[in-house]
Amino acid sequence: MAEIELVGLSKVYPGDVRAVDSLDLTIPDHEFFALLGPSGCGKTTLLRTIAGLEAATEGQVRIGGEDVTALPPGKRDLAMVFQDYALFPHMTVVDNIAYPLRVKGKPKDERREAASAAGDELSLSGLMERRPAELSGGQQQRVALARAVACRPRVFLFDEPLSNLDARLRLEARSFLKKLQKELGVTTVFVTHDQAEALAMADRIAVMDKGKIRQVGTPKEVFQRPVNTFVANFIGSTPMNLLPGVVSGDVVQIAGQELPLPADVRDAVSAGQEVVFGARPEYLVFSPSSVPESLQGEVTVVENLGTAALVTLEAEGLSVAVTVPEGAEPELGDKGWVTTTPGRVLIYDGADGELVGSRVPAATAA
Amino acid sequence: MAQTTSPATEAGAGCPDGPGGPDGPGGVDGPGGVDGADNAARSTARDPADSGETDVVGLGKWRASAFVAPALVLVAIFLVFPALWTLYIGITNYRLTGIAARVPEFVGFDNYVRAVGDANFLNSLYLTLIFVLFSAVIGQNGLGFALAWRLQDVRGWVRRLVESLVLLAWILPSSIVAFLWIALLDRDSGTLNALLGTPGLAWLIEYPMVSIIIFNIWRGTAFSMLLYSAALASVPPSQLETATLVGASRWQTLRDVIFPHVRGHVLTNTLLISLWTFNDFTPFLITAGGPDGRTETLPVYIYNTAITGGQMGYGAAVSLIMLLINLVIAIFYLRLLRERR
Amino acid sequence: MTTVAAKPGTKSETGRVPASPPMMTPRQVVGRIGFYTLIAFVTAFFALPMLWLLSTPFDDTPTLALSVPDLTLNNFRDLLDNQYALGSLVNSILLSVGTALLVVAFAALAAYSLSRVKIPGRDMLLYALLLLSSIVTGTAAMVPIFLMMFELGLIDSRIGVILVLSGGLLPAAIFILKDFVDTIPKSYEESARVFGASSFQILRHIVVPVIRPGLATIGVWTVVNVWGNFLVPFILLRSTDKQPAAVLMRTFYTEGGSPNLALISTFSLLYSIPVVVMYLFVNRKYGFRFHGGIKS
Repeated sequence: MAEIELVGLSKVYPGDVRAVDSLDLTIPDHEFFALLGPSGCGKTTLLRTIAGLEAATEGQVRIGGEDVTALPPGKRDLAMVFQDYALFPHMTVVDNIAYPLRVKGKPKDERREAASAAGDELSLSGLMERRPAELSGGQQQRVALARAVACRPRVFLFDEPLSNLDARLRLEARSFLKKLQKELGVTTVFVTHDQAEALAMADRIAVMDKGKIRQVGTPKEVFQRPVNTFVANFIGSTPMNLLPGVVSGDVVQIAGQELPLPADVRDAVSAGQEVVFGARPEYLVFSPSSVPESLQGEVTVVENLGTAALVTLEAEGLSVAVTVPEGAEPELGDKGWVTTTPGRVLIYDGADGELVGSRVPAATAA
Repeated sequence: MAQTTSPATEAGAGCPDGPGGPDGPGGVDGPGGVDGADNAARSTARDPADSGETDVVGLGKWRASAFVAPALVLVAIFLVFPALWTLYIGITNYRLTGIAARVPEFVGFDNYVRAVGDANFLNSLYLTLIFVLFSAVIGQNGLGFALAWRLQDVRGWVRRLVESLVLLAWILPSSIVAFLWIALLDRDSGTLNALLGTPGLAWLIEYPMVSIIIFNIWRGTAFSMLLYSAALASVPPSQLETATLVGASRWQTLRDVIFPHVRGHVLTNTLLISLWTFNDFTPFLITAGGPDGRTETLPVYIYNTAITGGQMGYGAAVSLIMLLINLVIAIFYLRLLRERR
Repeated sequence: MTTVAAKPGTKSETGRVPASPPMMTPRQVVGRIGFYTLIAFVTAFFALPMLWLLSTPFDDTPTLALSVPDLTLNNFRDLLDNQYALGSLVNSILLSVGTALLVVAFAALAAYSLSRVKIPGRDMLLYALLLLSSIVTGTAAMVPIFLMMFELGLIDSRIGVILVLSGGLLPAAIFILKDFVDTIPKSYEESARVFGASSFQILRHIVVPVIRPGLATIGVWTVVNVWGNFLVPFILLRSTDKQPAAVLMRTFYTEGGSPNLALISTFSLLYSIPVVVMYLFVNRKYGFRFHGGIKS
């Protein structure tokens, strides 16, 4: 088992495309760590650089305290599960699982033994003599995992391991994968573009954009206190309301209306400063009648979310989304008032989108 | 087993000691003495960007080039060199026998001047154009499209039978199909005369050009049929259904829905089959250019003057003209392919 | 559509023909008849020349005319008696297998490297290969090729024929095979690499088995091409005992005197069977993949 350390890591492609941009990150031993971001943000490149499939342009990759930057992938003692699983089509399941050991020159019976042990662990015992093409997507994914498990590496790298499964299977695989990782205790880095997946599985998440890490934290931190508007926008199944406004005393003026400025940021902003007022729909409260310190608008959309409804209000070009509990849904065209929950409002700087007044969380420290 | 190392190749790509370099036994593998500074230097080296993304096996440029080399050497010697050598032979009086065989003389553009003024050459060029135009551009193209179009919604044995026959005509060896047609068209006991009730009609003497044109349509329609079948299958069914819904007739559907989709394929197909027909040597197997040069297309003409007649210089000059025509068609074709990508 | 016509004596009235949609208009009936006439005509056109190949080898009195055979196998005795016939088929096998081995091996090495490694000038090279393979045809280059082989002393050498044919087929083979390798996900090799396999191990364990269908396709494609090729062995081989079936076939029917139809027909049949079998094999095993250059 090992800790992973990235020091000033960059990967630059010809034409000065900085896929990974001087990145510092430490992933402690045993951690289940998610790299999350939109496509093209550099998360897969980062994973492949850790694996050694891409050579770093600058900086270091350290695994277990050892600098592996110049080592080939095979010498880094890690296992990777690819998005398409990369199961060798001409080999049976058992041969696939045993392949890493074959490369290491282990004798045949030892290989088969280790392979069937790993197969059992992932409940593949009945399928060992089949070819990958004869397996379902879920089974193929488990074979890929078994192959990674069988070589007992220090580090697991997963590249979108769940994206090829259908929705129902994906939920199942999530908890399964998390349980497996906890049992084995192997440091794991997994790449995903699905924020719900990252929130559900990871111990910690790094949200990436344009080759840089925009925030590192536990799922809770990242969800509740996104440190910039990019993360705020990206995390959450319903996007956060980000309302442009101007500070005026103890309030923020938003489209001609006013909402109170949270007390803890009053010292950090000045009057007339342009800010972005951030509040998740889940943390806003809807009332069908006028209440003080609220935004008023007209109901234009009501989306059913099952146990709740997502209501969109519009007022003077502004639209605000708010979740309304079951049974209290307004009608289209109704008037509505929205108030905030204390402590759940985030104020971002209007210019650079960074969270205002947050004690800058020690993003890179472990 | 052979302990070749991927990173060694990557790192070694800078050192120019040739393809053999990274195959050394094991040595490079354990970088025991490599200290941190060296590592840093390596990892910041310029190389990785190129090899990292595509060279997944870690072959490295040198070994990869070594892998490509044997094929290229063969192609260079037996394809590129002859093509270039044609330029030289064409301006000499190279002959197979006699004095000119030992020491060919430089004759400048005499061969080309002679060709342009040679009635036989001009006749041959004209025959080739006729052959390509009627058998390929019109015949194979038209019949191929008609078959592909009419057969596309026919299922079962009718379709299988027709397709198999058309394909069989295409895949059988040329010397066999040539004889099959000689037998079919035979003056005295040919099946065609028996069927048409025209005993004693010598098709290959009376209508030699028509015969080889029909023969070539028979021989080569398969390619067009296959290409158009594939093209027609790629027309989105929703568009065809839309046409049906608005009540378009078969012809209107063909004109307004299908044709726009296959237009590109028509052009590609026409260029390819023209190129092949232009270079086709099979007529030689049926008529050998006869009677009296009436089916002497360019390939046959080159054979008869250069190989049989021994006039290598002149034959090369005519060959170069052929190569240039091929070049023009091929460039059109490749440009078309590129545009569609 | 136009009014429904009950007139045609088709079974549509009984309503028991589920395949044909409701009822046909006279126009459709004419269309149907026209269609089947066309199909019949096309079938006859394509089948007519080939029937001879099926019937004559077994005909007691082989003639050029198509006739219902009085079955016999005697004609095959002429084939066995001919001193060159079987030898020429062996020559055909030597030439096609030799060329196929060379083409498959060289094309595989080149195609794989070109697909996976960005060798400087790769795109230019591929373009040049594609261009070359279409313009430098056997007919257009027969003069320099003949002269070159003449100067090299490779006239009447089967090796010489194999080399010339390989050089001609390689560009297209590389191209087709590179397309095939391009479709294989790189994650196979990457995965093996992460597990520590060396380049050589990856090639042997993963790459070769995975591209085997492509290699088989190229192999069959080459064999079919060489098997039927007439021109190259015709101009390069002099001795009858070295000539492949393609060339000997022509000798049989252009020799003086009346052609031995028993020999020609049985020989043709024997010489045709392998291509048909190989075609069926490829068709069944891999489906008929449509390659622009499958026949050149």
